[in-house]
Amino acid sequence: MNFKERVLTAMNHEEADRVPVMGLIMDPATVNKMLGKKPVDFVGLLQKPVLGNQIKNLLSSNRFWNNMYYGNFSAAMQAAASLGFDANWAVYALMKLTRDPQASVGWSWYDPYGRVWELAADTEGNINVNYSRALCDTEEKWEKWVEEKAPLFETMLRNTAAFHRKLVKDHGGRIYPMCYAAPGPFENSWQPIGFVNFTRLIYQKPDFVKKVIAFQTDLCLRNLEAVMKSGVEVVLGGDDLGQKTGPLLRPELVEKLYGESYRRMADLVHQRGRKFVFHSCGNIYALLDKFVEWGFDGIITMEPTAGMDLGRVRAQVGHKLVLIGNLDVSYLVVKGTRQEIEDAVRKAIGDAARGGGYILSTSHSHPLVDPVRLQWMVEAAHKYGRYPIGG
Amino acid sequence: MPDDSLAQLQRGLLDLDMEAALAAVHNVIAGGNQARVKEAVDVVTRSLEVVGKRFQDGEWYLAELVYAGEIAKDVMNALSPLMQSGGSPSRGTLVIGTVAGDLHDLGKNIVVNFARSAGFAVVDLGVDVSAQKFAAAVREHGPAVLGMSCLLTSTESQLAGVIDALKTQGLRDKLKVVIGGAALSERAARDVGADAFAPDAVTGVDMMKKWSAPA
Repeated sequence: MNFKERVLTAMNHEEADRVPVMGLIMDPATVNKMLGKKPVDFVGLLQKPVLGNQIKNLLSSNRFWNNMYYGNFSAAMQAAASLGFDANWAVYALMKLTRDPQASVGWSWYDPYGRVWELAADTEGNINVNYSRALCDTEEKWEKWVEEKAPLFETMLRNTAAFHRKLVKDHGGRIYPMCYAAPGPFENSWQPIGFVNFTRLIYQKPDFVKKVIAFQTDLCLRNLEAVMKSGVEVVLGGDDLGQKTGPLLRPELVEKLYGESYRRMADLVHQRGRKFVFHSCGNIYALLDKFVEWGFDGIITMEPTAGMDLGRVRAQVGHKLVLIGNLDVSYLVVKGTRQEIEDAVRKAIGDAARGGGYILSTSHSHPLVDPVRLQWMVEAAHKYGRYPIGG
Repeated sequence: MPDDSLAQLQRGLLDLDMEAALAAVHNVIAGGNQARVKEAVDVVTRSLEVVGKRFQDGEWYLAELVYAGEIAKDVMNALSPLMQSGGSPSRGTLVIGTVAGDLHDLGKNIVVNFARSAGFAVVDLGVDVSAQKFAAAVREHGPAVLGMSCLLTSTESQLAGVIDALKTQGLRDKLKVVIGGAALSERAARDVGADAFAPDAVTGVDMMKKWSAPA
């Protein structure tokens, strides 16, 4: 069985030759370490007055941005394949480098949705990026933003389709690209506005919130269409619906505001003959049955630091959802011992892999993930993941 | 006709009705009665305890916790000009901030709202706070508790840096240190030498209340 057959067999809740292993590799720090590449001190270069502006001008070229961005994911695919992963995730993003006095390094990425991404570097110069704040904190600013950015959304969708097509063409012969249409309607509706503001609007201006969600749902459906042009059989979508102790919104409210959006996303993917896997960080037990109801085929993440236990998830939703993930990235694949990794892999496989329907992976990407420990993880999966499990 | 403003204020907070809560508090203010102002502050404190309990029991979710905190904040802002001599005695001071390199403040701000309503004097240092700034604030304000928020795993090492700075300046033993944030855990608290990890804002404020209670 090859990597693709292994992944697709698991996606059908059937036992492959062994449990597939998926990488969530995307952080430059991890990729550089894996490929033995010296990081470019991007943040350091930005601090030089003339050079900073030159880099900004260069990156504002769509072609240059796409080449740079593709290069990172192409390297991630190459690194994941070389470690023996059967699949790796891939996501396209379009960002504009912007001078930002609020940012600690003086620059941030602004994305087309109206979100600011904090730019930082680790001690070796590897870049990392995290959502930091909203640009459209009022109704008026949001309306103006989406009107002005309409052409940018079109560019983004064209780029998304081209990115995933090329990735599948270049790497699909060695590893299965899990192409991700991110982000989803929940994150896209609150993050450009800010969570506190968005919460106020839910209670005070529900019609505006409905309008935002409808806009973002349409955009998300188009993003899914763009990703599916790559031809992959499995498509990822997602929204971080959980926080450390439970969902961010009451499940009934998630259903009321976003249920229709998620049903439409799953329906669209199914109409195209593909399977839809949903990513959500956080503690999401209270939403698992909704995921089944909305028509999702699988979920990816199940963050152990938010209390997600693979055995409990399997018991709750049985084989109604394919499960991907759950290995800890806060300690296990950062500093864990080989024995701890073997034990965790063995437990995950024992908890969720019988009868198929489980793809082993870490619960997320993480800049501190150690490639040696990822190698141990893959080796342990090969050792303990052969079907029949425990046989 | 009896004045039911305080009952209306409580209903506004617990039914998440901002308009009703603010209308009630404006009635209290219009009365110009200092004792009623103090009672209104107590209503906010008690109501947020109910909100916190609902959150911890899984009855309420983060958005409801946030919005209740926002209502309480607006109410307290309306009352604050009249609170000079009517406020409750402080449970002590909390110095709080998000560590250097991290700009996230949602969790921290919920703690600030709930801690203020629970009677703590809060010194909010904001986001992207350096170890030196944390240590200087501890030296200046002599807090009972230092709270540090850290969402990003990439900035987790900053927590240990702050605690080291406190130790170097002989300040560590004078206060409790609590950390919170999506990527953290009790293991992280042990690793960096904090006293506790709070998985959510309500638990964090509960810990602070226990620490500040008379022995």
